[in-house]
Amino acid sequence: MEIFEVLVLVVSFVVMLTLGVPIAYSIGISAVLTMLVSIYPIPAVTTIAQRMATGLDSFTLLAIPFFILAGQLMNKGGIATRLIDFAKVLVGMLPGGLAFVNILACMLFGAISGSAVAAASAIGGFMNSRMEKEGYDKSFSAAVNITSSTTGMIIPPSNILIVYSLASGGASIGALFLAGYIPGIIVGLTLMAVAGVFAYRHKYPTSGSSSIPEALKKMLNAIPSLFLLIVVIGGIVAGYFTATEASAIAVLYTFILALLYKEITLKDVPDILLDTVSTTSIVMLLIATSIGMSWVMSYENIPQSVSAALLTISDNKIIVLLLINVILLLVGVFMDMTPAVLIFTPIFLPVVTELGIDPVHFGIIMVLNLSIGLCTPPVGSVLFVGCSVANVKIEKVIKPLIPLFIAMVIALLLVTYIPELSLWLPGLFDL
Amino acid sequence: MKEKIDNILGKSLTIIMGLMVINVLLQVFARFLKISAPFTEEVAGFLLIWVGLLGASYATGKKMHLAIDLLPRSKSPSAQKKFSLLINSIVILFALSVMVIGGFRLVYITISLNQLSPVLEIPKGYIYLVMPLSGFLIIYYSLINMKDQKPFGE
Repeated sequence: MEIFEVLVLVVSFVVMLTLGVPIAYSIGISAVLTMLVSIYPIPAVTTIAQRMATGLDSFTLLAIPFFILAGQLMNKGGIATRLIDFAKVLVGMLPGGLAFVNILACMLFGAISGSAVAAASAIGGFMNSRMEKEGYDKSFSAAVNITSSTTGMIIPPSNILIVYSLASGGASIGALFLAGYIPGIIVGLTLMAVAGVFAYRHKYPTSGSSSIPEALKKMLNAIPSLFLLIVVIGGIVAGYFTATEASAIAVLYTFILALLYKEITLKDVPDILLDTVSTTSIVMLLIATSIGMSWVMSYENIPQSVSAALLTISDNKIIVLLLINVILLLVGVFMDMTPAVLIFTPIFLPVVTELGIDPVHFGIIMVLNLSIGLCTPPVGSVLFVGCSVANVKIEKVIKPLIPLFIAMVIALLLVTYIPELSLWLPGLFDL
Repeated sequence: MKEKIDNILGKSLTIIMGLMVINVLLQVFARFLKISAPFTEEVAGFLLIWVGLLGASYATGKKMHLAIDLLPRSKSPSAQKKFSLLINSIVILFALSVMVIGGFRLVYITISLNQLSPVLEIPKGYIYLVMPLSGFLIIYYSLINMKDQKPFGE
């Protein structure tokens, strides 16, 4: 590794990010600049163009727009309200019930839609006003909503785990999906613990329990939405279809459901498709330029040098994992999740596999870690969406966020150092 | 002019996205019915390149790409105008060098090497044409965005 190349890469990237150049373009430009140090301009730009095009030519990546589309359909298709009602039946009677409902609904919606941003806006949109009416602190509600939305990144199906599978050079998507369940639930539970303490201190009300027939009706209403999870995950795990095929089935299923619920009509379809394209292409450009960047880094032997450097500091598993977690937490603050996974997986995965860590386990660590960054300024997309649907200023949310962050870090440490939490479930299914 | 291009681009993207869904559903049903439809996987990859790159230009026009805009946001309106000029110039630089020049070279090389897609035997160069096309659109949109007072979206 040439120090000069690394310097060009890091400095140009940081400068462009700070100026406010869109992240995807910043990544692309610094990839080109780094290559220019050792390669002539025309071959350099051609190589990046080639990496971008061939990188997108992937059947696996196709699952991403489809899960986004399914999420859009759910958002408009009345599925969010049904999940909230379902969550209310289960946890509404606890003190601070609505906070628990918010967390559980985010976990369910995030899982089904695979998008933290979608969960934050769909669930937050409903829950924040209801919580405010019952006397909850507005910024507390927003903070709960924001952090719990990220559980959808780990609870399957999850687009980011698909990206990881690609970046890791083929970790099984089925195994990654199953591995996400327990860690995702652990994050949800630690968040609930914090919310519970807060609710108890402020004497927040229970949101009342519903009569048994009413509760049954609400549960029955949610079954069609929840059944989607069984179809998608069951189908992938049993090997009936690939993640991409499952995502297309999810689109068809949610579409039919939304039509049956009469929440959308055929006329809404073009708008929903175009919204999906916009969201998709933002992610795809990030993926394309990140793949270019990742190629430049391996061309410059950067992953090998970082591995060697990390292993000279320590070859103790616990310490190396701690170091990597600290680095990723910092990365997550400044970088969006998708490029972070694509760029840092090839760097860190060889180190951890050398120390005997399972790639599936590492994927869960990485995604859980970077989820925390989604809720921090300056690039926390979930933070922004969560604050805007709750109509609170970002500065106001920071204070109630802190204990929730600590809860997430504790969950991260548990998941990092107890591999069985991630690997037990896939092992059970021989994945 | 911009509305017209937005409109055409938006409609084409909507259609491509719709085709993508139909294409993969076709693949799933074909497999359940044990009919062979080997082209679906290939078509899916091509459509994704098109949606990803053309969509990226559409999103550039709508200023939807993620950016850290703390610095430009904190400045005075006149300074923001300068930021707008600078940021859009950098985007244009990328679109011109990588997507237009690099993209055309890529198209040229793949066509002259006669690289065909394995199933449908379409020259891959035609698929990659979307790279320079999208590059031109990004340049066009960035030139328009440059005149805006603010470098960032809502």
